[in-house]
Amino acid sequence: MTASIAAAGPSRRLLGLIGASCIVILWEASARLLGADAQVLPAPTQAIAAAWRNLSAAELAQHIGWSLWRILAGFALGGLAGVTLGVASGWYAWLARLVRPLVEMLRPIPPLAWIPLAIVWFGLGEPSKIFVIFLGAFFPIFTNAWRGMVSVPPVLLAAARTMDVDGPALLFKVALPAALPDISTGLRVGFGLSFGILVAAELIAAERGMGYLVMQSRQLGQLGVAVFAILLIGIVTLVADSALAALLRRWVGRRMPA
Amino acid sequence: MSSTRYPWRDWAYPLIVIGAVLACWQAAVMAGWLRPISFPPPSKLAATFREIVTEGYPEGIGLATHVTITLQRIVLGYSAALALAIPLGLVIGWKPTLDALTDPVIAFGRSVATLSLLPLTVVWFGTGEGAKIFLIGYGCFWVMISNVIAAIKNVDPVLVKAARTMDVSGAALFRRVALPAALPRIFAGARVALGVGFMVIVGAEMIGTIRGLGALIMEARTFYRTDITMVGMAVIGAIGFAMAMGLQRLEAVLMPWQGREARRAT
Repeated sequence: MTASIAAAGPSRRLLGLIGASCIVILWEASARLLGADAQVLPAPTQAIAAAWRNLSAAELAQHIGWSLWRILAGFALGGLAGVTLGVASGWYAWLARLVRPLVEMLRPIPPLAWIPLAIVWFGLGEPSKIFVIFLGAFFPIFTNAWRGMVSVPPVLLAAARTMDVDGPALLFKVALPAALPDISTGLRVGFGLSFGILVAAELIAAERGMGYLVMQSRQLGQLGVAVFAILLIGIVTLVADSALAALLRRWVGRRMPA
Repeated sequence: MSSTRYPWRDWAYPLIVIGAVLACWQAAVMAGWLRPISFPPPSKLAATFREIVTEGYPEGIGLATHVTITLQRIVLGYSAALALAIPLGLVIGWKPTLDALTDPVIAFGRSVATLSLLPLTVVWFGTGEGAKIFLIGYGCFWVMISNVIAAIKNVDPVLVKAARTMDVSGAALFRRVALPAALPRIFAGARVALGVGFMVIVGAEMIGTIRGLGALIMEARTFYRTDITMVGMAVIGAIGFAMAMGLQRLEAVLMPWQGREARRAT
């Protein structure tokens, strides 16, 4: 897929730009011409103007910074736990028998449903939000890491064994690299999920962060700022996700084509 | 993983593990190692379950009502999203120009966290059902449409070329070759979208309503009823699991040519 995009080159990008501009112009025009109220559906320019009037750059940076810090903390913990436990369960069958039933039992529970429990366990501060983001990241990362490990072709392991590679070397030099594509898929899915959860957690219980900014602006009647903040969340998500994708591509390197 | 020699192990081991954990939990609370306020023991949860079913919470709303309301919202939002996303996605995926035009918009739409729209939907739809159904629809729509587009785009070109050499083209090529080849991925998308719907509903119900499982989970907090929160979580988890299983069954019925393993891989 990436190859075809690169091959199509600038014309594809140009078409994309045209499509996106059309949507923005359409939105702007319909918001202004249909006489809609800026308190119901602000036009993009009105949203930016409202944000310009009501928000200082420092405030904005602070909201973004808090959200990013929560994401990084929750995602890093979830990623670490998910990859470690997933790889270990994929390697040791007895561990999988122990861990997987519990994970599979808890996985269908939407991460947001944990918020009240997180508050009881960790209080209203940062740890409860980080815990919920951790959960969102953990489940897909664990499952993908486990699946990646158990679907390593047995031939690969057998071949390595005939060459006297065994024990930790077999795990770290043969099995783990073979499972990397699945692990990186899990990391991306988990990252996307944890972003959605972050915003929700900030809507429900926070005093800072981008989700809080949306909620607060709406309560203050500054719908323009709210729309601006929503678009901002979209942009930050998009940028962070492509950064992670680029990082994973470099890390997984030449082992996987896509 | 599945042991063909001892099929009973596939379900016996999980049951033993889960049973053991529940027993340890109960024992730890009874021994005073875990505070029952934070970790209500399984025996208490069973009693709470009965309480919600018979007496209801909050304000006497029974569990059956919560479940029905939540299901109704999910089904409405989810089916509206599918009804829109599948035809649109098929067209966009089939026409490379359309795909190039809409690609950034779809990537952005998917990136906007669904629940960040919650404050806006209150302005647009009020606090009624409309806002919740819209949010579920929004979340499911973007996931579904990007999967449908990818499904059509990633159809093996060899299949399409082979069909072309046999003079199949246009609508027939789409309907008889591309669509069946894309179906597994479309179904995978439908399953992911359902998961998104379940995630969104909890958030959407946490604000401005006392009916629905999300509300039940959240309302329990005001009286420190951790037990009610846990029962609510278990119920929504069970429903989500059952619906995912149902979709998988449907998939097996509709696409018998897809092997079991291939389905798992997607």
